[in-house]
Amino acid sequence: MITIIYRLIVALALVLVAVELFTQKSAKLKINAALVLVPLVLRALMIA
Amino acid sequence: METDQKKLPGLPLSAGLLALVVLVLVLVAPSDLAMRKHDFVRKGPGVTEVRMLSDWFPGIKGGRGDTEVYVLDSGKPGGSALVLGGTHANEPAGFLTAIVLVENARPEAGKLFVIPFANASAFTHTDYMEGEPRRFTIEGASGARTFRFGSRATSPADQWPDPDIYIHASSGQKLSGSETRNLNRAYPGRPDGTFTEKVAFAITSLIKAEKVDVSVDLHEASPEYPVINAIVAHERAMKVASIAVLNLEFDGITIGLEPSPQKLRGLSHRELGDATDTFALLMETANPSQGRLRGVTDEALILKGRDPLYLKAKALGRLFVPFDEKGSPVEARVGRHLAGLAAIFSAYTEEKPDRAILFSGLPSYDELQATGLGKLF
Repeated sequence: MITIIYRLIVALALVLVAVELFTQKSAKLKINAALVLVPLVLRALMIA
Repeated sequence: METDQKKLPGLPLSAGLLALVVLVLVLVAPSDLAMRKHDFVRKGPGVTEVRMLSDWFPGIKGGRGDTEVYVLDSGKPGGSALVLGGTHANEPAGFLTAIVLVENARPEAGKLFVIPFANASAFTHTDYMEGEPRRFTIEGASGARTFRFGSRATSPADQWPDPDIYIHASSGQKLSGSETRNLNRAYPGRPDGTFTEKVAFAITSLIKAEKVDVSVDLHEASPEYPVINAIVAHERAMKVASIAVLNLEFDGITIGLEPSPQKLRGLSHRELGDATDTFALLMETANPSQGRLRGVTDEALILKGRDPLYLKAKALGRLFVPFDEKGSPVEARVGRHLAGLAAIFSAYTEEKPDRAILFSGLPSYDELQATGLGKLF
């Protein structure tokens, strides 16, 4: 049960970071968001 | 168009970065998923049956905790033994010794159960920030054999999140949170516990159901770790372990004997001895590739065990094992485990002749140093 809750939190963070990727004006922050997306997707899908 | 660009500033850059993220995922995910495929293990002349651990506890059936159990039955009366490799997947001499047994041992009396990948999930990932290779290759007689180099613990993809503090269920002992994924802190396990506790419970169930006389858990440790080149024995197994240590010393293999601490809970040599009738033992060899003092961590370090920083540590008196320019090669580490197993089973057979556990087909320590490990693969 706790794993499902944590995956939902990760999915929420994933969506918020993806939104940041498209709404941030700074190129640096866009790149940051892209970097953070990779481990979030891997964990949301429980690949790594 | 102008309004859209205000809402989504730098849209081409965002889209490009998203494409890059997808590309990285497409490149990374398959190699992560490929780690889930078990290494090839050849059925040797002594293997009479290959079962799954879930046969003893269906609660792990079909999951990534389920793993192969190789049965080597002599068909003659005698006792039974269980050999666990891969409790910690970053300790290669443990699982390589188990694979050597499966592929080469011929049981002469009694029955042998061998689990090369005891924590199968731990083989599916490496530890963060450790810079370890995911695989290493041994040139074998039948060609190059590649093995996974995994982690000390169950993958977070199988058991997550970690608690801040891990409380061992049956004793209440408190350890750091990540130890909740350490199979060798999870015994005797629980049928309704975590992923790791279920695997531990399955192993405990096998020992009970098969009335296993002797259980040996094969490990490695950092050369700076005090309990090393040693056998750790539950108090009921102490006499057998003492005889084994003496016989190993006669053969020129220096090995320590440590009593299983009664207050250190969750470990195989404590809990399997307490929860079942088995003689529970654990063996350690010196593996620089998992040490904290190591330098570059590559295949050569895993296989040859040579590291200039460990030479320096030895000169400063910081190590608990002999260490020189020859390093701690995998042949020596597997050779120690094989010699230790033979000595333990021989001592047990002396003690209980009606429950004999004997096998042949394996090289002596000296033969293995001369021929190399590849000849056995």
